[in-house]
Amino acid sequence: MFFRLLMESFRRQRRRKALAGLAILLGTTAVTAMLALATTIGDHIHQELAAYGANIVVYPAADQLEVKVGGVDVKPVSGGAYLKESDLAKLRGIFWANNITGVSPELPLHLTGKTSAGADVDANATGLWFDHSLSNGGGPALKTGSVAMHPWWKIDGRWPAEKATSADSTEAVVGTSLASHLNLKAGDSIQTAGRTLHITGIVSTGDTTDQQVLLPLNAAQQIAGIPDAIRRVEISARTKPEDSFARKDPDSLSPKMREIWYCRPYANSIAYQIREVIPGARAEQVRRVEQSEGNVLKRISGLMWFISAAALLAAGFAVSAAMATAILERQAEIGLMRSLGASKGAVALLFYTEAGLLALFAGGLGYLAGSGLAAWLGARIFTESGPVQIGTLLIPVLFPVVIALALGVAIAGSTPAIRRALTSDPSAILRASA
Amino acid sequence: MENLTDLETRPDCAVIALNGVTREYSGRAGVVRALEDASFSIVAGEWVAITGPSGSGKSTLVNLIGCLDRPTRGELFIDGVNTASLSPTELDRFRADKVGFIFQQFHLIPYLSALENVMLAQYFHSMTDEKEARAALERVGLGHRAEHLPSELSGGEQQRVCIARALINHPPILLADEPTGNLDAANQKIVAELLQNLHAQGHTIVMVTHDPEMAALAQRRIALSHGKVFCHPVSGPVVSLRK
Repeated sequence: MFFRLLMESFRRQRRRKALAGLAILLGTTAVTAMLALATTIGDHIHQELAAYGANIVVYPAADQLEVKVGGVDVKPVSGGAYLKESDLAKLRGIFWANNITGVSPELPLHLTGKTSAGADVDANATGLWFDHSLSNGGGPALKTGSVAMHPWWKIDGRWPAEKATSADSTEAVVGTSLASHLNLKAGDSIQTAGRTLHITGIVSTGDTTDQQVLLPLNAAQQIAGIPDAIRRVEISARTKPEDSFARKDPDSLSPKMREIWYCRPYANSIAYQIREVIPGARAEQVRRVEQSEGNVLKRISGLMWFISAAALLAAGFAVSAAMATAILERQAEIGLMRSLGASKGAVALLFYTEAGLLALFAGGLGYLAGSGLAAWLGARIFTESGPVQIGTLLIPVLFPVVIALALGVAIAGSTPAIRRALTSDPSAILRASA
Repeated sequence: MENLTDLETRPDCAVIALNGVTREYSGRAGVVRALEDASFSIVAGEWVAITGPSGSGKSTLVNLIGCLDRPTRGELFIDGVNTASLSPTELDRFRADKVGFIFQQFHLIPYLSALENVMLAQYFHSMTDEKEARAALERVGLGHRAEHLPSELSGGEQQRVCIARALINHPPILLADEPTGNLDAANQKIVAELLQNLHAQGHTIVMVTHDPEMAALAQRRIALSHGKVFCHPVSGPVVSLRK
């Protein structure tokens, strides 16, 4: 009898139920889309902001004062302290290893020599990873390097191959300014320190790097005579927006709070973990990019929560209106049920089950529609993320959340009408409908 | 045969007993006393007609006897239980057990068949039993119309479905609110005969009516005026009495 009453209610009040269902569908679509974007927005924004540089920089603790003029490290190449390139593999073993998306070590040096055309070369150079696999032996390797970390660098030619480095030759690229000054182009070469640098391309960076020669790190180490040495490492990591807790000194926190701080992907805590695994290193967040990322995330997340709440509220009101009308139409039925001995609970169960079924169905559809909408919006907002993958379209963990929200909206929306109907005098209802 | 006048003062024999029952409603205009200090008893097997003009308190009395409402003051015993002592949930259960409603407007659910309408009362009482529901319809002469929707039945037939529904859970009290008020003369006669048969079988019937002919069928008339009760003498024999 319960299911008969339930089914008949859906059959006979199709329009009312469709209206309430549509409200839930639209609400859950908006919420799913916003939640899906909110949960992935950190990654997306990180990818977008990665275009503006690293968010953590690592350098030797003994070399805290960077001496840069106009972006150029003017500290003597032979001076200062160094980190070990071989220690970078340890980054793959830290707690937040999977949040590190890019690593770019640097070794600055000074080159003197001659071009193949006979011009004198007296220029700064930087040894870099161009396309490097970083692995600690276990787990997947991280494909990274300065090319991926500086997506705005434009190359006319091709990037140097690290494997092409031998004892007497290596590949290199030359910044546009320097290339113009020395009249160099791809295919030319430079003789320096007893080896030949084969120019594979001319790079445009938009900064002082345009006045430099960029060569593979291993070649730079050989030329400088300091194997395994690096001066600085740029790291790009997915981080949680900085808050007051992030700025705490972990060593001043209680063990429990320190663990919480440690297990949150703040740039500070990732930097802290980097310091732990790389001896003699000092890791700091690049505050400008990090703060921008945090501020953008905070604002966008806030906006999304606001939109989600507004969508749910609107859906709740629409459900309330639709259910109020639907229940009003069935007042006589409710009065009859009550006079036949149906408890308020029994009658309420019938209407709440209706609302629940509606929420399950409309919420399920809303989840699918919202996932599609999130993918569509994501593809248009976050151009750096590339095309939408079908596998990432649906976020299964959102399904129970969306269904729970749909149930909440349907039940909350129905409650005023159900309560009103149940508190009415059944005999008055029966007389009124007579 | 016992003297009914004596029974009226013997709540221990009564299926319905009111003792100083008052029902007041609070509104913007102040407190309205819909029923004032009502005291009377109805014994098992009795057929009582409640009469009175509009606003006299008939509906209030029906709601109280039907356990849809509770007195503001006084005691109302139904089948020996003081309804004031019951919680709202217990009152719902009690109503399903003790009272079968017969409505002027029938109040059948339009999308359920005659059989399902009868089974609805079973569902809210305990559990459905199609065989028993069919038997109830046969008892009111509608066995052949069991699968018909209310819209496919005449007014008299709909009222008989309503009576079958009131009888299905074997309540000790049948509470009829203008049972023939919406019927033509022919159907009024059929329903009146059905009520007479039920009375003859020992059912207690409390009937609200404006119709003097229907009121005349009852053994006793309880007249209401401005919320006050005036009991009239017995107009016919009491067929069956509880011990």
